[in-house]
Amino acid sequence: MSDAESSGVRAVADRIADRMLAASVLERIAIAVVSTTLAFVIGAGIVAVAGYDAGEFVYSLVYGAVGSLSNVAFMLRQSTMLILTGVAVAVAFRAGVFNIGVQGQFVVGGFAATLTILFLAPLLPAGVAVGVVLMALAAVAAVVAGGAYAALPGVMKAYAGANEVITTIMLNFIASGVVYFLLDAYLRPPSAAAPNTEQFPAYVDLPGFAFGSPSFSVIGLAIALLTVVAVYVLMARTGFGYDLVTSGYQEPAAKYSGVDPNRMVVSTMTISGMVAGLAGALFAVMVLGYYSDPNTFPTFGFDAIAVSLLAANNPLGVVPAGLLFGGLDAGGQYIGFTLDVPSELVDGVIGLIVLFVAAPELFRTAGRYTSLGGDGE
Amino acid sequence: MTRLGDLFDGGRVLPGSLVVLAIALAAFLFADVPGSELVTVGALERALQAATPIALAAIGGLYAEKSGVFNIGLEGFMIFGALLGAVSAWVTSGSDPVTQGDLWIGLVTAAVVCGLMAVVFAVLLIRYEAEQIVAGLAMWFIGLGFGPFIATVVWGGVSSPSLPNIDNVAVPILSEVPVLGRLFFDASPLVILTIVLTVVAWVVLFRTRYGYWVQAAGENPEALDTAGVDVNRVRYVTVIFSGVMAGLGGAVLSIGIGSGFTGTGVTMVDGRGWIAIVAYLFGNYNPLGAYGASLLFGAMDMLQIQLQTIGISLPGSITGLFPYVAVLVVLAVVGYTRVPAAVGEPYDEGD
Repeated sequence: MSDAESSGVRAVADRIADRMLAASVLERIAIAVVSTTLAFVIGAGIVAVAGYDAGEFVYSLVYGAVGSLSNVAFMLRQSTMLILTGVAVAVAFRAGVFNIGVQGQFVVGGFAATLTILFLAPLLPAGVAVGVVLMALAAVAAVVAGGAYAALPGVMKAYAGANEVITTIMLNFIASGVVYFLLDAYLRPPSAAAPNTEQFPAYVDLPGFAFGSPSFSVIGLAIALLTVVAVYVLMARTGFGYDLVTSGYQEPAAKYSGVDPNRMVVSTMTISGMVAGLAGALFAVMVLGYYSDPNTFPTFGFDAIAVSLLAANNPLGVVPAGLLFGGLDAGGQYIGFTLDVPSELVDGVIGLIVLFVAAPELFRTAGRYTSLGGDGE
Repeated sequence: MTRLGDLFDGGRVLPGSLVVLAIALAAFLFADVPGSELVTVGALERALQAATPIALAAIGGLYAEKSGVFNIGLEGFMIFGALLGAVSAWVTSGSDPVTQGDLWIGLVTAAVVCGLMAVVFAVLLIRYEAEQIVAGLAMWFIGLGFGPFIATVVWGGVSSPSLPNIDNVAVPILSEVPVLGRLFFDASPLVILTIVLTVVAWVVLFRTRYGYWVQAAGENPEALDTAGVDVNRVRYVTVIFSGVMAGLGGAVLSIGIGSGFTGTGVTMVDGRGWIAIVAYLFGNYNPLGAYGASLLFGAMDMLQIQLQTIGISLPGSITGLFPYVAVLVVLAVVGYTRVPAAVGEPYDEGD
């Protein structure tokens, strides 16, 4: 085992664990709220400095998220994706493994789902029941593909000591590149100008119910929430979940009780990738209805890191965090359409939130100076 | 300091290099690739250019990690460097065409501003003990968001208009020397500057008192503290240095050898900051080794042109993946290197 490498990474993981145990739930929420607010204030300041109207910016951000039924549908669609990918990230982070490759696993999973639907649909009769079967098979294919793609960096970390932060990022680039190549070379219909696949048959779609939006379905949101519950139960209520978390943070204790930490790393990555793959299937079926160049996809897999961190890597906390970032995303895109403020600004604000969440010490210090809360340590 | 001797051995670089060589050899034998046409002076020239931004960021990151701080935000600093270099060259030129002088101003501005940003980053990491991996990722996200945002504010689109780049400098007489003349004496001054900086970085790290301090800050901060040296001050300097170098690397990409800033997708930096981290790991924290690894990745980056000239036409979407695949192979082979003992641990002098 790589004692040398792990001493650095281990020390980092230990500190995260200590923080998490030391910080109360209330404190975590306070850190999340203050981080978000601070990032917003800076974002609005940048908007003002760049010569735009900051008030209008904030108003549009809120209106874009919840101002109309179709805006809410769009927000919930983004939130659904962010909750699922957020849980994928949280599983790994919780067990002390940094899976930055959720975006790549998401791309590979969605592609596997697409292949399943496009190859099986012509062989089967058309119909709603067949549609349900196809979607189920597509989900299975996506989960398997996402899990396998995540297992690779897991194996590299466990048995070669390769830093998973870097391998997973490289695998993101490789996933997008290879999927783009396959789409472009083999799956693009002769008439298509862009590297898009054919549309899925109309019966392969999730019904929208209340929102009347073709790219959002309440069932999609329900799948995301069920996944959250399943992951929470797995992590908090099963022996396997207990081993996962202890092997991440207390390797000696885990080893003593007979847990193989290398296998746990691979398992953790695989589970994380399975959830990311499921998110990919949902994106292909619910949002797109076909598949296209992954380089143009939203970066759910990266924003999910922010979602998970804001939720203190707690699977249940991912739900409110996912809703917040879904709202941010929807508001940001609305701003991009209506104001002349570039929507990339919102991505930068998300980055600032992550930066502030990374430094709880900052808030403790601020708390000490202002004697508003803060435990003073 | 007792470890000076083993700093010369390549660690696991030697087996790593052998594997890479074996793969190349297998390619020549089985794929019937004419090696002599693949390795040309033009190819080496392009590889040296492609290696330059990676090597600059790698040397900065190497210093930070040697001193005990893992700066995983190199990619973010490179994005800002690429953007700021292009913005300031463009703004400096005013309504006139961008001149060589403007480009040099852009290069310096990018390095200075990225250095200032690294001050803030360093304060968060060192003073406020921010989780280093998470904060580094945040730097990347901030670059991915604010880079294209600032570009849009300045140019009305996420990419800059086409800009000139810094001219080659030809040394009279020496540039006539075959091969070496073209590679080093009729070359981009930035390629030469990077090689010089690499050697200087090696000398400072392994041959000066300050270099020992940097190493001690990462290996045994308590001992350094006992010796009366402020550990965190050393770390501030190296983290700021890493920001300056990554910013410079980014600017080299956009205006040194490239022709402007591209903000689409993951921006024109396109993972080079991450590759830089692998480069110094592969080089076993030795600046010379890190430069060699950067050259390897640079050559991978430019392989597409070579394959085309010898008639093997792989689609660009596949050959563009060579550097990333190379990184994975390198990591699988090199695996862990001996990370400085105190990396990732904040140091509290008070205790």
